[in-house]
This record gives sequence, structure tokens and C-alpha cells, in this order.
Amino acid sequence: MKRKLSVAERREENWGWIMVAPTIIGLFVLNIWPFIQTIYTSFCEHLGFGHYKFIGLNNYIEMFQTPEFWKATWNTVKFCILTVPVGVILALFVAMLLNTKVKFKGGFRTIFFLPLVCAPAAIAMVWQVIFNGDSGILNQLLGTNIQWITNPKTAIVAVSIVSIWSSVGYDAVLLLAGLQNIPKTLYEANSIDGAGKVRQFFTITLPMVSPTMFSVLIMRLMASMKVYDLIYMMSDDTNPAMADMQSLMYLFYRSSFVSGDRGYGSAIVIWTVGLILLVTLFQFWAQKKWVNYDI
Amino acid sequence: MSFTAPGWGNFLTGVAPTAAVLLIALLLSLCGCGSSDGKTHLTFQIWDTAQRSGMQAMCDAYTAQHPDVVIDVQVVSWNEYWTKLEAAAESNTMPDIFWMHTNQLLYYADFGMLADVTDLYNDVESGYYQNHFSDISLGNVSGSDGRYYGVPKDKDNGVLVYNKEMFDQAGVAYPDDDWTWDDLTDASQKIYDATGKYGYLAYLDDQLGYWSYVYQNGGYILSADKTASGFNQPGGKEAMEFYIGLQKNDWCPDQNFFTQNGAGATFWSERGAMFMEGSWSLLGALENNPKMDGKWDIAKLPKAPNPVHTDESLDQDGRACMSNGLCYSTGAHGKKLDIALDVIKYFGTEEAQIIQGESGAAIPAYLGTEESWRKAWDKFDYKINIDCIFEQFDYAIQVPYNSASPRWKSQVLDVLTQIYAGNQDVDAGLEKIESIVNTETQKKLADN
Repeated sequence: MKRKLSVAERREENWGWIMVAPTIIGLFVLNIWPFIQTIYTSFCEHLGFGHYKFIGLNNYIEMFQTPEFWKATWNTVKFCILTVPVGVILALFVAMLLNTKVKFKGGFRTIFFLPLVCAPAAIAMVWQVIFNGDSGILNQLLGTNIQWITNPKTAIVAVSIVSIWSSVGYDAVLLLAGLQNIPKTLYEANSIDGAGKVRQFFTITLPMVSPTMFSVLIMRLMASMKVYDLIYMMSDDTNPAMADMQSLMYLFYRSSFVSGDRGYGSAIVIWTVGLILLVTLFQFWAQKKWVNYDI
Repeated sequence: MSFTAPGWGNFLTGVAPTAAVLLIALLLSLCGCGSSDGKTHLTFQIWDTAQRSGMQAMCDAYTAQHPDVVIDVQVVSWNEYWTKLEAAAESNTMPDIFWMHTNQLLYYADFGMLADVTDLYNDVESGYYQNHFSDISLGNVSGSDGRYYGVPKDKDNGVLVYNKEMFDQAGVAYPDDDWTWDDLTDASQKIYDATGKYGYLAYLDDQLGYWSYVYQNGGYILSADKTASGFNQPGGKEAMEFYIGLQKNDWCPDQNFFTQNGAGATFWSERGAMFMEGSWSLLGALENNPKMDGKWDIAKLPKAPNPVHTDESLDQDGRACMSNGLCYSTGAHGKKLDIALDVIKYFGTEEAQIIQGESGAAIPAYLGTEESWRKAWDKFDYKINIDCIFEQFDYAIQVPYNSASPRWKSQVLDVLTQIYAGNQDVDAGLEKIESIVNTETQKKLADN
């Protein structure tokens, strides 16, 4: 049976509700309600100006029959494979470098964090110039003649490079916090036992930083599955490689806002949400195998 | 950790008054729309920063006669303009006056979002629209029901911009009125051979690309009744093949290049000899490229050498250029509809259109006031041949749109990029495009 609350406890509970109310209301109005609406919209045809006609599963049937959609799904998966492992490993590497006793540590930390405070549009423009197949600096450095952004084979690689470049600093800062929480005594005891640097990394650093790494991994994977802005800014409607670089979210943007087909666009969104859910569930299941919560 | 919760008593004496003050402040700011100066405030939304001063000049002329009205010109970039306007239309918070584009007018008008302005000038003159605006201008403002949903603002067309220096170096005569597609390719080859610079920059674009080639060749993008595609019909197909094939020449960069560098930037950095540009960009080009003074000029578009003749053909001796025009519209359910209508009525008068023209914003749509646009060029020492823009209106063709355009445009572009990428051969691609346009159009007609 439920215990009756004392006056003081009830007061405290009231205050609790008041304190969380702005967040809860915001979450419901800005996230949960639109999400429910999106699910409904995905079963509708958009007639224009917010008028919808219920058409059942037609959007999904059309979607699953479109090669362009499967291509975009594959592009998104490819983008995740290209960016997530490399990005996280690189971020860990950077974090470990920043955690050692080097000169100008503060300066280095700032430099690695800088991409995060740059406007994404500016980042995309600068990289466009770097990647330019005709006069870009990258080709000149490598002595190659690759049309990075318009060659179907390299376009997604180019976008991945920019994505990794702009996220490594942020991930490294998170991982750095994780690294700094590892007690120094562990390393001391370990080296007295005669362990080398490599062994220390695998027996102490990696297990101890794994909880932070897990959250970084989840965040990075979600961000990669939702990639849109980079592709939008680095490419162009008339890019011959568009079909090989457009992600699910880019396809959603084009369907919903360029063609005005919001029902179809919503179906793409629901499919993407399903994919993210699946991958995240898998990660939570798999974390039991490698994430260490013991101190 | 112990936590002493403040009681309701504390809440009432401390927090509540503060919250109440904040709430009142918020409510007051929400009511801020009600003006305190007793004047009517209108918002006027446009997408082109370059035309802001011209629009402001027209508004100033109106408010000088109507001191009780204040018009606020707001620029929203093209990329967000339509997303924003549609959201505003859904929530009935549209700007009081706004620019409308041919591409979108049918969508808005057919849904009853735009005020019908057909009878706006009945008290001034019967047949005002027909007397003072061209058929193309009126086509651009007509809804599917044939009523007018905007007051024509301007008109434009595309011209051939060329680099005189490169022509001189190659010993080729400048483009003249009799130039055909063959002259265009010959000159390109000669310039490439002599200077190593690119010739004609044939980039993937509709209004500034293949559209005019299709019409020049006796073909069409949409049939006269706007229900059928002409991409895969004799004249259209031949022109598409010609235009797409231009990139196969050594003297023309491929689409990879254009995506990354842009045709305009290539021309203005003196790496290419010719490209097609819209009349609306020329003033800005002259202003922004002072180093090019004396080195460039404009000419009429070259004509098709052997245009096809079919029942749909316009038979203009191989000549055609695409012309578009914007209009001023107001929402059908605006709260200040009467005043907004009065303002756009003024925008459609000879006086306002001349103000627009002289500001250099655009070539006025009002017949007989076009020449006022010349005045904007006076402040520049270097003169280019703007006569050819006016002469091209003689055989201009309205840009092809129908109510299904938003649905087929991006799909057509997808197929075209695949053709340019070499993943799709031209014949099968054009067949596919034709079926996309026809299917989407039929679907839209069935919906209505």
C-alpha cells in the first residue's frame, strides 16, 4: 500500500514537478507531439498547405520500390562505417596525446576544439575549395587529379573526411574527461608489476574509458545516421555524384521541402528512426561485452 | 544530502510575483504587433537583396502619398523563402505583401492562398491588365482558373555573355544577330585552339540552359495546353542531345567542373569565352567585375540552324529566349487585406514601375516603361549592348510551368545529372523524363 506523504514531502514533490515542468512541456510540445504527427503524416499524401489525405501504407510501398531510396539507405550505412570507427579511434588518440605532458597543451586543446565553434557553412565552403578537382590544394599536395566531390566513388569519402575533421575535437574533449578520471595509482601499480605502455593501454586505459567511449559512440552513430547539412552544403543539385552521396535525411529534405511530398518524406524519417533504434538497441546489448563500469 | 524544500508560503512571497512580472512582460511583447503610433504597419517580403533599395523606393513613394501607412521591406534568402512562406500560409501569418514566382504561383493560387486581383483596376480602366502588360506577364500571374493572383512586377530573359579579348585573340568575329548554334561551336573551337581557354560554357541548367535551345529548335518543354512533355518529341529531343553533347567537346568543361566551379565564376575569372546569363544578374556583374571593363559584352542568343516544324512549333525562325517575371501578391485572408491590395495596386502603376526600373532592380513589366531600366546603367562608364535584351522580348517565351512542376522538376534534374554522369544514355533518359513529366501532370490533373 502506498505510504501517505508528509506535508514536507508533498511540498518537495510539488517543487519537483514545477522544476521539471518547463523541460517536460518543452519535450512534449517540441519533440514528442511532432514525432506522433510525423508517424501519422507518413500514412498520408500531402495535398498542400497542411491538408492531408490518408492513404494507408502507400508511401511505404512506393518507398520500398524506389531504387533511389535503397541507394540512400546504403549511402547512409556507408557513411556511418566510414566516419564512426575512424572518428572515435582518432578522437581517443587525440585525447591521449592531449592528456600527456606536452607544451602548449591548452593551445592544442583549443585548436582541436575549434572546428566545433566554426559555422558549418563556412567549414563546408573551405573544404569545397580544398577538394576542388580543378584547382584544389588537396590534389596539388597529393599530385593527383581526383574530382573529389563529383566522382561517385570519392564523393562520400570527401564528406566523411570533413565530418570526422569537424567532430574529432568534440569527441576528444569528452574522452579526455574520461581519461582524466582514471586514478594515477592504477598506472603506478601496473608499471611496478612490469607492464609496458601498450599493455597499460589495453588493460587500464581502454577499460576505464570505455563508458565514455560508449556514449561517444552512440552519439556519433546517431549523428552520422542523421547526416544532412554537410551533404547539402558541400554538394549541389546538379552534382553528377548526387545519387551516390545523398543520405536518407537529404532524400527526406528533397521530398518534403523541394518536391512538397511531405507524406513520403515522413515515411523516410520513420524508416531512419527505425534504423537508429535498431542500431542503438544492438549497441546497448553489445556494450555488456566490452564496456566496463567497475572501478 | 538534506534538502529543505521551500514551502508554498515562500513561493507566494518570492517566486510568484517574479513569475507574474515575467509573464506580463511576455504577453506585452506578444501584443507588440499592435502599433502604438496609430499607423498601419505592413510587411513586404522579397528574396533578392540587390533589389531591396528599389523596392524601398517604391514603398517610400507610396507612403509619401499615404502617411498613415508604414511598409517594412524584409529580405528572406531564396533557399528559405518558400519553406517560410508555406509555413506562414498554413498558420495564416503571411506577410502582407510578397513576391510570387511563376514556379509557385499555381500551387498557392489553386489552394486559395492568394487574393484574386483580377478586378483591382476596374475603377481605373477596363482591360487595364491587357492594355499594359504582355501576354507572358499575364500568363505568369494567372491561376488555373484564368484569374489573376498577382500584379506583374518585371520581366527578364537570358543573353549570351562573351569575352571580347578572347574573340580578338582567336581572330573570330563577335557574335551577331545571325549567329547560329554552328557559329557558337565553331567560335568555341577556334578560341580553344588559339588561347587554350574554354569556349562556350554549357552548364546544366533549365532557364539558363537547355530550355531556350529546345524552343529555338521548334520543340517544347510543355505543350501549349501545359499537359504534355516535349522532352522526347522531335525538336526537343534533338536540342537536348545537342546541348548535353556540348560537354563532350574539348572546349567545354564537363558537369563535374561546373558543379565545383560554376560557369559564371569561370567566365569572370577569364577562363572561358562565353556563357548564358540572366538579364537580372548583369548590373551586378558590371559592378562587381570592374577589371573586366572593356573586355566583355552581351549578344542575343544564337539561333537554331534547322528548326523542326511540328503542329506545336512556334516557328520563330530558330529564335527563342525564355522570359520569366515575378509579381506582387497578397494573402487571401490577410488582416490588412484592403490596404495591402491598395499598395500592390500602386506597385502595378506606371509611376511605381518606372521607380523600379530606374533603381535598376529589374526591367519593369508595365509596357512602355521598360526603357526606364536603362537609367540604372548610366552611372557606369563602361557600356554594354543592353539593346539586345529589349530586342529579345520580341520572340520571348514564357518559362514552362504547370501545377505539377514542383513534383517533376527535381525528378527531371535527377535523370539529367545521371545522363551527364554517363550512367544513363541520352535516348533512354529523355524517354524517362518525358514519362515523369506526363505521369506527374496527369496525377495532378486527376487530383484537381
